[in-house]
Amino acid sequence: MLLLGWIWGLLFAPQDAVQGNSYRIIFLHVPSVIFAELIYFFMAVCALMHLVWRVKLAAYLIKSAAPIGAMITFIGLFSGSIWGIPTWGTWWQWDARITSTLILFIMYLGVLTLHGSFSNLEKADRLMSILVIIGVVNIPIIKKSVDWWSTLHQPASISVSGSSSIDPSMLYPLLISIIGLGFTLISLGILSSRSYILSREKNKKWVLMHV
Amino acid sequence: MLSFIKAESFKLSKKLKSWLGPLLVMVLVLIAFPLSIDISQYDLDKFYFSIIIVSLLMTAFVATEGMFEEDFEDGSLEQEFLKEKDFYKLVISKIFVYVCLIGIPIAFIGALFSFANGVAVDSFGKVFLLLILSNLLLFNLFAFGNALSINKGAMLGVLSSLPLALPVIILLGRAIRSIQYEDGFFAVTTLMVGIGLMVSAIMPLIISVALKTHID
Repeated sequence: MLLLGWIWGLLFAPQDAVQGNSYRIIFLHVPSVIFAELIYFFMAVCALMHLVWRVKLAAYLIKSAAPIGAMITFIGLFSGSIWGIPTWGTWWQWDARITSTLILFIMYLGVLTLHGSFSNLEKADRLMSILVIIGVVNIPIIKKSVDWWSTLHQPASISVSGSSSIDPSMLYPLLISIIGLGFTLISLGILSSRSYILSREKNKKWVLMHV
Repeated sequence: MLSFIKAESFKLSKKLKSWLGPLLVMVLVLIAFPLSIDISQYDLDKFYFSIIIVSLLMTAFVATEGMFEEDFEDGSLEQEFLKEKDFYKLVISKIFVYVCLIGIPIAFIGALFSFANGVAVDSFGKVFLLLILSNLLLFNLFAFGNALSINKGAMLGVLSSLPLALPVIILLGRAIRSIQYEDGFFAVTTLMVGIGLMVSAIMPLIISVALKTHID
């Protein structure tokens, strides 16, 4: 599905009247940044579950999702940077949206580093969950940064509730790319969490029975 | 609560490095930065606030470094946990003492330096107030970072909590602009007071939970 979205977007969608072919990077950039935020939000929900109901699996999911979130945030930042050259004439701008996304990337690294620094993994899980919950404050900041500050970054072109300002010939491949990337990341998440659960529970009876 | 504040004030006043170090870092950065670059007073007046803001961030980090480390290592935290079953009072007193003994002098120095760099005399109070509020927020956030990485070194704490401090810096930047352009100061200050009160009430709870995790 992701390939279909990309092929449609990169080869068959029409050129943009202003940006020419350079706009086609949205088929990578937009899905990446959407999932960069969604993954963190998912982690925050898991963190809450872990802290309130002591669900062990929730902590495992956070630990498995964090590297994927960091990777996808990096892709979002990098692709945005590449897009910045033909449109803004610069690789980087200290704009509210871009800076808050960079903060999200640092948050992901912080979560991973914090977890990695403790030998007692139960303790690491709980501290990581606390940090994830506190860090979720950054998500509405990213989302609303283009409205709250006068930024170089454009406001959202796609809206769930209202009408989208993007032409359907570009919108459909973009939506397919978003859904496709979603499925890809879910698959990656499942694989990653499966191997992490097995590594954490390797001495447990149920794992020894299955392996 | 008063006994906590008394004990923490006494402990901090005995640790010369902990309260004098941040003040010296603040003064050093504020003096050294303009000297280290060839710049006209006109340009300096325009962006000196940025230097104050960054210095504030650095000094808040230096000031809170090892905030709970000694208590953790000498067993005080464990004793406190056995006695009170909670760290809320301890954390809130600690942050209060740190803000009073380090944060307010830092804010005063920052306001003094801004006054020496083109800010109108009657704005001194406004800058001072903003810097105190920023310190309150930053001390809470860095205390949280330190509580997370209590015995793992300050770098880990700062890596974890620095992203949270950046919105404070953005807010402070906006507040400073409101002083420079004399527009919307009351609104921004009210917002900062509101956030400050919320953070001061909630953050000690979260720090308390983080500390409990280390003790458990």
